[in-house]
Amino acid sequence: MRRSIAYPLVALGALGSTLVVASPALAHGYVSAPPSRQALCASGAVADCGQIQFEPQSVEGPKGLTSCDGGVAGFSVLSDESRDWPAKAVGTTVTFTWVMTARHRTSNWEYFVGAKKVATVDGGNAQPDAMVTHSIDLSAFPGRQKVLAVWNIGDTANAFYSCIDLNVGGRDSGATTPPTAPTKPPVTTAPTAAPTSTTATRAPAVPIADNGDEWAPGVAYRTGDEVTYEGRTYRCRQGHSSIRSWEPSIYTLALWLPL
Amino acid sequence: MKQAYATVLIATVLLLGACGTAPEAPASQVTGAQAAVQAEGGHNDTDVMYLQMMLAHHEQGLEMVRLAEKKASRSEIRTLAQAVDATQSDEAEMMTGWLKQWSAPTTVDHAPNAHADHGGLPATGPREIAALRKAKGAAFEAAFLNLFVAHQHNAVEMAHLETEQGSNAEAKAFAERVRASRADQIKQMLRLMNS
Repeated sequence: MRRSIAYPLVALGALGSTLVVASPALAHGYVSAPPSRQALCASGAVADCGQIQFEPQSVEGPKGLTSCDGGVAGFSVLSDESRDWPAKAVGTTVTFTWVMTARHRTSNWEYFVGAKKVATVDGGNAQPDAMVTHSIDLSAFPGRQKVLAVWNIGDTANAFYSCIDLNVGGRDSGATTPPTAPTKPPVTTAPTAAPTSTTATRAPAVPIADNGDEWAPGVAYRTGDEVTYEGRTYRCRQGHSSIRSWEPSIYTLALWLPL
Repeated sequence: MKQAYATVLIATVLLLGACGTAPEAPASQVTGAQAAVQAEGGHNDTDVMYLQMMLAHHEQGLEMVRLAEKKASRSEIRTLAQAVDATQSDEAEMMTGWLKQWSAPTTVDHAPNAHADHGGLPATGPREIAALRKAKGAAFEAAFLNLFVAHQHNAVEMAHLETEQGSNAEAKAFAERVRASRADQIKQMLRLMNS
C-alpha cells in the first residue's frame, strides 16, 4: 500500500474569480459503449481520425442538428460514411453509456435512427447522475443501423452529438452492406462477411513481454520482467500495459527500477 | 532535451521529507527508488495553478483507482489501476515538491470546480466517488471505467492550459507526459469497456 496524502476537500461553490480565466478547455461528453464513432477514434480502433481522437468529448453544436459531427468542420470524419465504421453487434435492447467530462444540467437525451426519433430521456434540468446509461428498445430496427445520440444541455443553447454504428440482433462487422432482406428475422439478416480486423471488439490480446527485450509500448509487463531501454537495463516493479511516457526514465521509477 | 533545467537525483523516499502531508514512511514500499526532480528556472502563476489543480485532481484519481484495485473483477483493470496508483502517487509527490520549492501552497480548495462557472461541474467530484464506492460487480467496472476515462479527459484538458500558458520547462514537460499517458490510458479503458 502506498502512502496516502492529505485530501484537499473540495468546496463546492467557493469559486475564486481569478481562476475562472484559466479554467480547462470546454469539452463535455460522448457515448462510450457501445462505442460511438469518436470513441472508436479515441481508442485507436479506427485510425487516421484527426483531432477528434484527442477530444472525443468535444462534438458540440447547436441543438437540433442531425449530423454525427455536430457541424464542427474539424470533426467531419465522423460524418464520412466511406470510412467503413465497424458496427457493434447488440441485442434488440441496447444500453448506451455516456462519458461526461463536465456535468452540465441536462434538458434531455434523444436517440434517432435515420430521421426517426426512437427515444427521449428527460434530464429534469438537473446535473446528470454519476453514471448515465439509457436502455433503448431498437427491436423495430434490425440489422445494421446508425444511431444518433444527442445530449441536450439545459443551461446552454448547445448539444453534444454521438453516432453509434450497430448491428441490431446481429454480429460484429466492418461491412457497410445494409441488410438485404428486411422482412426476414434479424438473426438471418446479419451480414455474412467475416468480421474484419478493424472491429473494435476483436483487438488482439496485448503481447506478453520476453525478458531482456527492448522496451516497447503496448506490451503487458509483469513485475520482475526486465527490459533494456536506451542502453540500460530495468526491472519492472509494478505490472502494467505499457503506454507512451511510461518508458523507463527518472519519471517512472514507480514502474521501472534501473539495474 | 526538455528537462534541460532539471536537476535529477535518485534518492530514497524520504528525500522529499519536507512534504508534511505524508509523515509516515510507507513501510511496504520495498524498493524505495524515487525521483526527486527539481523544477528549476522561472515559473509563473499558471505553473503554480496547474500544479495545485493537478494535485487535487490526482487525489480524486487515487481514490478511484484504489477502489478499482480492490473491486474490479477483471485483472487487466486491477493492473491498470495499480500502475496508475504507483505513477500518480509519485507524480503527486513530485508536484508537491515543486510547489514547496516555489514557496507556493500545495492545496487549492476550488480549482477543480472552476468549470462550474460555465454551468458544468467537472467529471468527478465527491458525489461520483461516493457512487463508485457503492457500485458492485459489473456495475462497478462500468462505473469506474466511464468515470475514470472522464477524469483523465479532464487531466488532458488541464495539460493544455499548462503547455500553452505555463513557463517552467519542467512543469510544461510534465504536462506533456500527462497528455500522452492519459490519452493512452483512455485508449486502454475504452477498449476494456467494449470487450
